Amino acid sequence: MAFVSTTSVLFILFISISGKSIPNSYIENRINLIEREVDMQLGSELVLNDDEKLANEILMHWKQKEIEESFRNPQYFNFSKHYFDYKNDIPKSKVYQIIRGMPKGAVLHVHSSLMLSADRLLNLTYENNLYMCKNEIGDLQFRFSEDIPKWPCHTSWVLLSDLRSLGDATKFDESLKNYFTLFSGSSRGCDKIDINTIWRKFEKISNVISQLIIYRPVTEKFFYEALNEFYNDNIQYIEIRSGLKSLYELNGTVHDKLYMPRLYRDVAERFKRDHPDFVGVKLIVTRHRLKTDEEIRKTINLARQVKQEMPSFLAGFDLVGQEDLGRSLSDILPLLNEAKNDLKYYFHGGETNWYGTSTDENLFDAVLLGSKRIGHAYGLIKHPSLLMAVKQYDIALEVNVVSNAVLGLVHDVRNHPLATYLALGLPVVLSSDDPGVWGADPLSHDFYITFMGVASKRADLRLLKQLAINSIKYSTLDIKNKEALYSVFHTKWDVFIKQVLTLSTNL
Amino acid sequence: MRAVIFILFFYSVYASNIDEYFDKRYRILKSESRTSLGGNVTLNDKEAAVNICLMHYKFKEVDYWFDNPRYFNCSRHYFTYKQYIKTSKVYRIIQDMPKGAALHVHDMGLLGPHYLLNITYQDNLYVCFDNNLHLLFANAPPKSPCDGKWQLMNKARNSSNNITKFDADLRNHFTLFVKNPDTIYPSIRETWRAFMKFFITVQPMLSYRPIWEQYFYDALKRFKEDNIMYLEVRSILPNLYELDGTVYDPLVTAKTYKKVIKNFMKDHRDFLGAKLIYAPPRKVDRVKLEEYLELAKRIKQDMSDTFAGFDLVGQEDLGSPLIEFVPQLLESASELNYFFHAGETDWYGTLTDENLVDAVLLGAKRLGHAYALPKHPQVLNEVIKKDIGLEVNVISNAVLSLVRDIRNHPLSAFLAHGLPVVLSSDDPGVWEADPLSEDFYIAFVAVASRLSDLRLLKQLAINSLKYSALDSISKVDALRKFNYKWNEFIDNFDCSKYQN
Repeated sequence: MAFVSTTSVLFILFISISGKSIPNSYIENRINLIEREVDMQLGSELVLNDDEKLANEILMHWKQKEIEESFRNPQYFNFSKHYFDYKNDIPKSKVYQIIRGMPKGAVLHVHSSLMLSADRLLNLTYENNLYMCKNEIGDLQFRFSEDIPKWPCHTSWVLLSDLRSLGDATKFDESLKNYFTLFSGSSRGCDKIDINTIWRKFEKISNVISQLIIYRPVTEKFFYEALNEFYNDNIQYIEIRSGLKSLYELNGTVHDKLYMPRLYRDVAERFKRDHPDFVGVKLIVTRHRLKTDEEIRKTINLARQVKQEMPSFLAGFDLVGQEDLGRSLSDILPLLNEAKNDLKYYFHGGETNWYGTSTDENLFDAVLLGSKRIGHAYGLIKHPSLLMAVKQYDIALEVNVVSNAVLGLVHDVRNHPLATYLALGLPVVLSSDDPGVWGADPLSHDFYITFMGVASKRADLRLLKQLAINSIKYSTLDIKNKEALYSVFHTKWDVFIKQVLTLSTNL
Repeated sequence: MRAVIFILFFYSVYASNIDEYFDKRYRILKSESRTSLGGNVTLNDKEAAVNICLMHYKFKEVDYWFDNPRYFNCSRHYFTYKQYIKTSKVYRIIQDMPKGAALHVHDMGLLGPHYLLNITYQDNLYVCFDNNLHLLFANAPPKSPCDGKWQLMNKARNSSNNITKFDADLRNHFTLFVKNPDTIYPSIRETWRAFMKFFITVQPMLSYRPIWEQYFYDALKRFKEDNIMYLEVRSILPNLYELDGTVYDPLVTAKTYKKVIKNFMKDHRDFLGAKLIYAPPRKVDRVKLEEYLELAKRIKQDMSDTFAGFDLVGQEDLGSPLIEFVPQLLESASELNYFFHAGETDWYGTLTDENLVDAVLLGAKRLGHAYALPKHPQVLNEVIKKDIGLEVNVISNAVLSLVRDIRNHPLSAFLAHGLPVVLSSDDPGVWEADPLSEDFYIAFVAVASRLSDLRLLKQLAINSLKYSALDSISKVDALRKFNYKWNEFIDNFDCSKYQN
């Protein structure tokens, strides 16, 4: 089967449906209109080479097959259900298997402490000298220590290894794992609870994990592991968001806040040395948006110091936490306005369903403060002036589909505004936010669900490639490193295309 | 989209100082608000006072939900919160507000189970129970196929042990409402099956000629009570029949419309009237479509003043796409006005989705639903250029499984871009909604911006007349009568009335 362009497919479709009876002028107008739309779509500018065209046919064969089955049997269509209800079905999909093997470029919106899956985190609880404290309401505290920690604990500190050996270790580990993830096998309850409750659970998990990983030796292992998981999902470069935490040693020594970025940088360097086809990591320093001006100012100053000491490691600054409940950007404006010449901004903006609220207006401030990219930008579709501005000023939108579904913004992902962003050809990059917390792949699930559930049924390999290219294009790498990343990516891409071609016999 | 005018504001994005920053921010927000639907409406002093009252209550409701999202109903299924709507003060204000016209409603979905159940108390109604409920008026037991036994409804009711339960069971056939919608309607398949079953059940009962006439008269009355002054009703034009089994031509059904409308207007001088959109099922072949079109033209010839135009109905995903009928529809385009359902789907890039393209190219005067429009920027441009009204039915889209959290409804983007939107209610009787007030309410508090106010509501009402199929003279008259009613509403408005 020779490759035919989308337009000619449309044309053929027409003729076969309608024979000669549709006037030529109508056909022309129709093709013209659809073509203009297709030309706008993200990925439409890419021209595929012959091998890519063949690979595209294979990919689209499976895509059309899966979608047509769902179209005919919407009761089995997964993407209109909760992510937790279909997550385990994803690996069966041929399209997913192809995407899994695809080099995806960079991940630009991910919170470092929430990168790692619950299973890997569980492994870290096997480290020696880990004490645990469980209070009356079941909240956990962790502390590595030579002796019983002196930290306050409502009940008592117990060595985790002792607890584990007391009874059924498997059971113990299962229950421990629940503290590291929102995923419990199904959506039971999850799709009924309100956004604040989901976020409370989410922040609790985040808090538990963070206690486990601020012990310096574990930080190193954790971060290396996390990079490895991402690397194995065919990701070549990462910009992590992270707060600056004080790491500590077994003897209780506490490091200053600049120690952590140094350690992250060193681990990333080591990972790069071990994996020459991995291009690296940069850091976006974050602070919780509920903090006071003074606390935020402190972090901004720390970020300035990180920049001075490791200019090539620091990407910029952002504020995190549930946007609806946190302070709005305009509330912190003087502070942010003051630092905007020193730090690049990558603000979360419009991660909300509330139209016309202060949260929603964060989008305006993100743009006006010169944010290089906007995190989520879920509410952007309701703001024509900003849609225009992000296109005009080429401000990338970091879209995280699975995150938005799990954190209660959208139920049926076909209603995600990303569909419109893709149709308008806006500068989108796909990312995964906190894949560890919901047990998603580092990036493949987000790509797959976007490709099958959000994008047009006709969107093809060009969209996928463009999304990967965008993640490089809108990264904060300098030109030299960007070129290095492109070169790694293209090499991997060619290998990937060859791999897909071997699947052709299964057509 | 429509945003070219905004570029100006963003030149030199960076403001040098905080004052300048906030000044710029204010201007951008202001310009967005002006672009949004209703943004150009100017309120007089009296209206401004009403607006203060309205917005006081709106902010109270919305801010409460923002702070306590667990009490925000509209992110859940409509059936789980419809009972609470009545307690909202914003809702009560909207109820009292003249809303202009309902331009997208289907005749057999106009009235709810209460009314339909009452019909079953009429004489000469036969009933037969098998897996379905069969209802037919006749002067002798009907011969139509049924696995059970045909008997007179009154007899069946009286011989049941428990009349209350009998009626309650019966009532369930006349509504989609259930207490546990997420279990009963897990996907669009189950909802549309139940929805289609509703029509299959009620059609034989409603199409008994005297009942039909009374039903439509009462429907107009019910809509008028909800402060609606004009309707455009879509009908498949079922064959009406008499007790003796006489079956009429669909043309008779159309004439019945004309007659009832005339009678109703005689009794209600301040009502503007109604028009008919002939909208037969879309799941047909071209031969059948030819018959449809011929009938449409005959109706137009016979009663051009009552006939608005043509449409096709039924679940869009499952029916024939418009492209299938383009040659025929194009041929008739000079004779018939089109009001096509288009893009009532979540499926992006499918043939269903492309109905939007053909509806626009076929010159549709308005689009039904246009739910998928934000995914089609060029079609959207055409909509703006040709000023094609978008008939948006928020509750319908929620109940019929397109969207769950209503804040994700594309209407919010339509409003933001100031597109020519009219709100309607599709089949309010089927889900026991008001003729229009609940759709207005939900659109206003949950879909539109927190900041959009009386100007939006007024513009939506005006749009419903502006984009109607009334001829230009009647339209001027309609707007004049609307203004009269509107001013009456404003003049008599008493905020304290809504306090309790």
